[in-house]
Amino acid sequence: MSDTKYLKTHEWYKIEGNTITVGISDFAQGELGDIVFVTLPQVGEEFSKGDAMVEVEATKTVAEAYAPMNCKILEVNSSLDVEPEIINNDPVGQGWMVKAEILDLDDSGMTYSEYESFIS
Amino acid sequence: MSDLKTTKLFAYHNSKNAKIINFAGWSMPFSYEGTLKEHNEIRNNSGFFDVSHMGRIELKYEQIQEISSLICSEIVSLPDDKALYTIFTHENGNAIDDVIFWKFKNRFILICNASNTQKIENHLEVNSISFKNITSETSLIAVQGPNAINKLSQKYTIPESFHTFSDDDIFYARTGYTGEDGIEFMIPNQDLDDFVNYLETLDIKPCGLGARDTLRLEASLPLYGFELTDSISPVEAGLKWTVTNTSNYKGKSVIENQILTGERKYLKKFIFKGKQIPRTGTKAISGNVNGVVTSGNISPVLGHPIGFVLFDSKPPSDLVEFDIRGNLVEGNLINKRFLN
Repeated sequence: MSDTKYLKTHEWYKIEGNTITVGISDFAQGELGDIVFVTLPQVGEEFSKGDAMVEVEATKTVAEAYAPMNCKILEVNSSLDVEPEIINNDPVGQGWMVKAEILDLDDSGMTYSEYESFIS
Repeated sequence: MSDLKTTKLFAYHNSKNAKIINFAGWSMPFSYEGTLKEHNEIRNNSGFFDVSHMGRIELKYEQIQEISSLICSEIVSLPDDKALYTIFTHENGNAIDDVIFWKFKNRFILICNASNTQKIENHLEVNSISFKNITSETSLIAVQGPNAINKLSQKYTIPESFHTFSDDDIFYARTGYTGEDGIEFMIPNQDLDDFVNYLETLDIKPCGLGARDTLRLEASLPLYGFELTDSISPVEAGLKWTVTNTSNYKGKSVIENQILTGERKYLKKFIFKGKQIPRTGTKAISGNVNGVVTSGNISPVLGHPIGFVLFDSKPPSDLVEFDIRGNLVEGNLINKRFLN
């Protein structure tokens, strides 16, 4: 398994074989406030890098999570439908949003230390 | 950031790990442990808000007639121990600010929105009303929640709803902005630390402006800059009940004509049972009447989005369609309150 990488738009992704897991960063959840609704994509849906995949409604504002690379949804974290606050509590673990098949590998995300200096 | 004003509790907020936001030129706590948690604490128990950013302006009661000519509510006959919610109006009937007056035997205090303090000062000055801005000399702490009164009654005399009371240097009223019972205290800055320590001994914890906003929305209360602005009148904002001033005041004829003819904008409450929140600025339509969402958020108690939408004229039905980022969704307009 590769390291967790981060995007400037505050998603994280992890590559395992031909699959990526995607969520939003701890910094992002903190900026959004309490997350109250998550709209997840359909299994089988295809996204190009930069497309909005997930919509996150929070008490403070709304945000979208973008595709880190071209991918096709394999699985969504449906527990977020009933407990969206999981993202607040464990954004880079239990709060994962989607698993997707990599269609075009693009591992150009930042390492955590690079992301840390980006947000500071 | 350095130009932002801070309240006397700024260090306290930071010590409680508050998330700080810029609100109307002030660095204010948005939340401490999360908006939903703080919202529920106020709905079910008690909590306090530092609202010291709001303007406190001392007036002279001798000028009550002149003051009366600037607001839409009856104030001349206000008893010495009462609070009054009212609205300063322009000649065109629109709202300059919504405010609270606190009347005591020897003092007469106006509390206005932080974003409008300068505007109110200018307005008073132009209308030859003498005043003293006492915002920086005092702090304003709103203690709210169903258990607030019981807890506070151990130390404080509890006035009736919308009544005021003063005890030495502490001035307070049984008012609030959450839909819950409670008291808003104006405290000399030198007594503030002791007061906040006392609240903590009562297990009354700090809550942020995020919860204050979801609470007021769920309680159907307007926020200046959203439901009320320089281009919306009290009647249009659904605040006809505040229009009680029988004497002449700025904008009276326009406001009375709006009541008489019904030809005006209409602010309506909406509920939406979907997973997207129609937020401020979202376009809405009911029948052929256009509107725009003034405020929208989740109702933590109801578990779905609620809010206000301002229509150009009276909406013909209780169905409303929102355009949320190109996605058309249907909600309902309601007349009753969000919470029973």
